[in-house]
Amino acid sequence: MKKAFLEVRNASKSFGTATVLDGVALEVAQGEFVSLLGPSGCGKTTLLRIIAGLTNADAGAVILDGQEITARPPHKRDVGVVFQNYALFPHLSVAENIAFGLRGHASRQDIAGTVTRFLDLVRMADFADRSVRALSGGQQQRVAVARALAVAPKLLLLDEPFSALDRKLRETMQMELKRLLRELGTTAIFVTHDQDEALVMSDRIAVMNQGRIEQLDTPQALYDRPITPFALQFVGLSTRIFGEVTSSDADGTVTVQTAHGMLRARGRFARGSAVLLGVRPERISFGALEGHNSIAPRLSDIVFQGARVQAHFTSSEDEPILLETSARLPGDIAPNAVLPISWPPEDTLVFPRVAGA
Amino acid sequence: MKRDRSLVGWLAAPAVAYLALVYALPLTWLLARSFTGPEGISFALFRDFFADPFSWRVIGNTMRIAGLVTLVCLLIGYPVAFALARAKGLVQVILLAAIILPLSVGVVVKAFAWQVVLRRDGVVSQFLKAIGVWSEPQRLLFTETGLVIGAANVFLPFMILPIYSVVKLIDPRLMEAGATLGVSPLLRFFRILLPLTLPGVVSGIAFVFSLAVSMFVIPSLLIGDRFQTLATLTGRSFLLMRNEALGSVTATVLLVLAVMIVLLSSLLARRAGRFS
Repeated sequence: MKKAFLEVRNASKSFGTATVLDGVALEVAQGEFVSLLGPSGCGKTTLLRIIAGLTNADAGAVILDGQEITARPPHKRDVGVVFQNYALFPHLSVAENIAFGLRGHASRQDIAGTVTRFLDLVRMADFADRSVRALSGGQQQRVAVARALAVAPKLLLLDEPFSALDRKLRETMQMELKRLLRELGTTAIFVTHDQDEALVMSDRIAVMNQGRIEQLDTPQALYDRPITPFALQFVGLSTRIFGEVTSSDADGTVTVQTAHGMLRARGRFARGSAVLLGVRPERISFGALEGHNSIAPRLSDIVFQGARVQAHFTSSEDEPILLETSARLPGDIAPNAVLPISWPPEDTLVFPRVAGA
Repeated sequence: MKRDRSLVGWLAAPAVAYLALVYALPLTWLLARSFTGPEGISFALFRDFFADPFSWRVIGNTMRIAGLVTLVCLLIGYPVAFALARAKGLVQVILLAAIILPLSVGVVVKAFAWQVVLRRDGVVSQFLKAIGVWSEPQRLLFTETGLVIGAANVFLPFMILPIYSVVKLIDPRLMEAGATLGVSPLLRFFRILLPLTLPGVVSGIAFVFSLAVSMFVIPSLLIGDRFQTLATLTGRSFLLMRNEALGSVTATVLLVLAVMIVLLSSLLARRAGRFS
């Protein structure tokens, strides 16, 4: 990784008896787009507010561009924020909103030039003199982004900016924002609870749970090699199978006793360890293949999704097993059939099983 | 739909009838009286009134006291309105009760209470002497300062409540957004909060000013007959001097002033709320 542009050290925050952030560390490189992904209440918005200076951390430090800004008030941090509800100034026009942070820092002419430039960048030039109240959600979102970027902050924070938009608009805005930030070379941290959004937009994703970052990785690494059961479950679909290690082999694999029989996975665990196996649905295929983990569960449902088909299998003890394929299924497959399916041991993820997991 | 709307209008009919009968009719009679001379319609009463320097002093007294009362209410009420709007749970209930409950105490009772407080041996005098502001106990009762203090107390809720109702609707994130745009707290106040609260401020000013310009009981009890306002002079003319001519003229002048203030403030409110 490049040298850290933003560094958060050991940030902790409690509200009353509830610990919201529990010693979080985060490093972001210049120009990078990092998502904080997690369920509501995981502390991602609190972390964002601490970086912006809108919430004071109980402990920890924030360093931006080589300067410690932990104690600085928000207006002296050079950190822009796009709020979830956009927080546009209702008494000002679109252009006045974008000019808000510029007034007093540049000549009238320069301000007008910057405002015009950002109106064009977010394709809102035709709305310059409109009241922000008359705008649709997507338009308000564009104005909020333009307003935050117009002051050229060192770092842009976005707090679930697309959550109020419908799916189609959201996808358009995601691509637009990504393009805009790349053009401007802006470093950005993006808070979301939507894994698809995080996967699409981010250079790296920090999966957060209960006030901690569980994993900070590229989208692909996060999907292919989640390091905790939570990361496995929160990003992408997966099937979880519980078991106990019966042998740890010299080739770096373990054999696990499960309700479906013996399964193998890549990893090192002591014999007798309780483990959790995970497998992505698209790794599983129909038919028993030599050297693969093969099982024969009962088919319960077939879900046709256009480009892909999902097959759901019931399983006695564990969660339903999920298979996903882009191939067309043979017409004679019907629910209740017992079908052999298999997947490679190297695509089997294995995690220590902790209490409650 | 159109038919429904015309029917809804009739819901106001009882109020209109009531106001026409007990308010508009006597008012018309009063106005007519002020424009009546021995030979029909005449402006003689107004000419005489405005020719008298005493009348100008009374108008000056009225406007000055009402202006000061409004200013004091604004300076005290504006921060209180914020505290009230941002307070949560029980604190808000207590604050709201503290502001609204005193409205249920009659003005006469309050004015008599202020008489006690503002006396030479009253609480205010003793307190100011104790902290060394005054070397000798002084009497605030029957002074303009005393009148402004007492009146501001009575009218304060009418300043706080309209501002509070506007502040309550302001998203606290707007100030945070201003901060993250690099704007200092003081400028954030002037560029975000003040414009957004202006409609509430203007209606608060309109309420308090129109109440203060026409108050009768409070000046009667707190400053006495040596100091006349349009309202007390109107009352004196009718009740003591039996001078209906003078009373109707002062009442008309007072009415015109009050209406002008209400119109001006609603005009200001409309301009302030350009996008609201």
